[in-house]
Amino acid sequence: MSGLVQVINSAPALMASVAIHFPSVQYGDLVPELALLVGALVAMVSSALARTKDISFPYTGIGIVTVVLAGVWSYHLSTIVASSGPKAIVAGAMAVDGFSTFLMVLIAVSLLLVILLAEAFIYEVGSRGPDFVALLLLSGSGAMFMASAEDLLVLFVGLEILSIALYVLVAYCAQVTLSREAAFKYFILGGFSSAILLYGIALTYGATGTTNIGQIALFLSQNTLTSNGVLLGGMALIIVGLGFKIAAVPFQLWTPDVYQGAPTTVTGYMASVAKAGGFAGLLRVLYVSFQTVRIDWRPVILVMCVLTLFTGSILALVQRDVKRLLAYSSINHAGFILIGLYVATQSSLGDSLYYVFAYSIMAIGSFGCVSIIGHLKGSTEGPLDIDSLRGLAREHPRLAVVFAILLVAQSGAPFTIGFLAKFSVVSAAALGQHYELAVLAMLSAVIAVYFYLRVVFAMYRPPLTADTEGESGLTLTDDSGDVMIEEDGALDQGDLLTVTRSRTIPVAASLSVGLALAMTIGFGIVANPLISFASSAIPLH
Amino acid sequence: MSQYLPIVVMAILASIFAAGSFIASGIFAPKRPTAAKSAPYECGIVPRRGPAQRFPVRFYLVAMIFIIFDIEIVFLYPWAVAFHQLSTFGFVEVLVFAVAVFSSFVYLVGNGALDWGPKKRLQPLVEDETESISSELVA
Repeated sequence: MSGLVQVINSAPALMASVAIHFPSVQYGDLVPELALLVGALVAMVSSALARTKDISFPYTGIGIVTVVLAGVWSYHLSTIVASSGPKAIVAGAMAVDGFSTFLMVLIAVSLLLVILLAEAFIYEVGSRGPDFVALLLLSGSGAMFMASAEDLLVLFVGLEILSIALYVLVAYCAQVTLSREAAFKYFILGGFSSAILLYGIALTYGATGTTNIGQIALFLSQNTLTSNGVLLGGMALIIVGLGFKIAAVPFQLWTPDVYQGAPTTVTGYMASVAKAGGFAGLLRVLYVSFQTVRIDWRPVILVMCVLTLFTGSILALVQRDVKRLLAYSSINHAGFILIGLYVATQSSLGDSLYYVFAYSIMAIGSFGCVSIIGHLKGSTEGPLDIDSLRGLAREHPRLAVVFAILLVAQSGAPFTIGFLAKFSVVSAAALGQHYELAVLAMLSAVIAVYFYLRVVFAMYRPPLTADTEGESGLTLTDDSGDVMIEEDGALDQGDLLTVTRSRTIPVAASLSVGLALAMTIGFGIVANPLISFASSAIPLH
Repeated sequence: MSQYLPIVVMAILASIFAAGSFIASGIFAPKRPTAAKSAPYECGIVPRRGPAQRFPVRFYLVAMIFIIFDIEIVFLYPWAVAFHQLSTFGFVEVLVFAVAVFSSFVYLVGNGALDWGPKKRLQPLVEDETESISSELVA
């Protein structure tokens, strides 16, 4: 007891004697994150002070300006990294390196596309005013914090900033039952996985005495743990916690439901930015922190990778909803990205990051097309049955071509970014002499081609109702010419009616999808800039 | 370990007492249920109707305002204690933090969190037809 009293009495003296060391913060290195945070605050306050909540474009403008600033500044940081090397900032809690700047550019580009899509659709169904942009920017800043986290706690805080805003975004159309269900599932499983990740961080701290990613690597390289149960437990829990975020099998069960139920724009965001954040954490922690104990985690990643590849591609075959199908395709892609992590060399990590970039662009483009088609079919941001795609090529030929190109690119067609992404990870596996894995990956890619083409064929088949109409028209022409003319006239009128009833494609949406398409094909043909950018995406240490 | 023995003994005794009470009352208590006995007990008053199904709860907005200031004070208090050591750096950081917290308060107020009257709603459920009708009547 007297010891306790002594401690209590000495506490103020202790506090007074310890001088606090402030980290030297170069705010120039934090501009991308800060820009998004400030943009979110500005959007939030101005939406609160505005008289009407019906106008959304000023907030979209705020969003675009901040996102472009963040993206350009990230690229600027990457050129600084290229010339003067990577560095740790804010007392080693964060890193400015090729890895973080590459992902931050990716996050900014994805945010730009998503904001444009949101401007076109989300306000029509959300009926919640322009808070969307504020939440999106906040969530994006969380992803950026994850990308540049050099400390496990910063990683966790980033994940929470990303996730909490995303829970609200998924529930943005809370009046739709499917959306509510999705939000609830995502919230419960997201909170669950965050807790698991935090426990893993705690165990890792217990085993190594630090939460700094570089320090953990240093500790593990200098010390050999005689009993490494705590470290293995921590590592396993970190893999599980982040595995939920990247939707790797067996932690993928929430993905189809949430991807289907969330507003399509938010689904595109989840597939790109949220996944990029999760992969940023997983790649950096496993590759950098646990570099010396890779013999322990690589088998786990291998099993996850193969399961993810095949679960995604096989279950996608039997889906009837386009959004669910794309959700399983996103699981399949996560498997490909894990290949680079399994190979675990510096260049294979770059291949994984290139794949993340490629997938993000193609995913937002595809979900953007789903958004547009859903809008044209009268269920804006809602689920979309594959059969309802039939006849799309006749009504909207350009849209069908764009969607087909994006889907075929996802399956890995040449002259697109998707081919280069698949080629790079598979060749990384082959270079690492993991031939079985390379063969398995290509096998799953072949399976995946089938379901992508299923969607494409659906678009180019005649609509179900038009089939029967055509047949009845044929039988009538056999009877007499008059009837045929009447029938033709009636059909024309019907077509006119559908034309006047059908909605137009919003400019912002076509801009977003067009940008995604341009990047998908552009970086597929002029491949060098992005590939060299990705190959310079090396983590600090 | 021996110093924990009293706690263990106490825990065992408590469990035996709790379990024993349940078992004894299960064996010895007379069971003659009547309608009045098995009705839910509510202060001795017989309930006449079910509870209201839906009523406006604005507690969640109050709770949000509370949490905002609660979190602010959680950080402000230690900062105030260590104000001199934290000096200018701490002051600027807390200022930034306070601005962020305050803007969320502005957002809440702007969305009607403090409009307590029955008239204003966060989202109008239906278009206000009654008002236009009454204004026509007045005209």
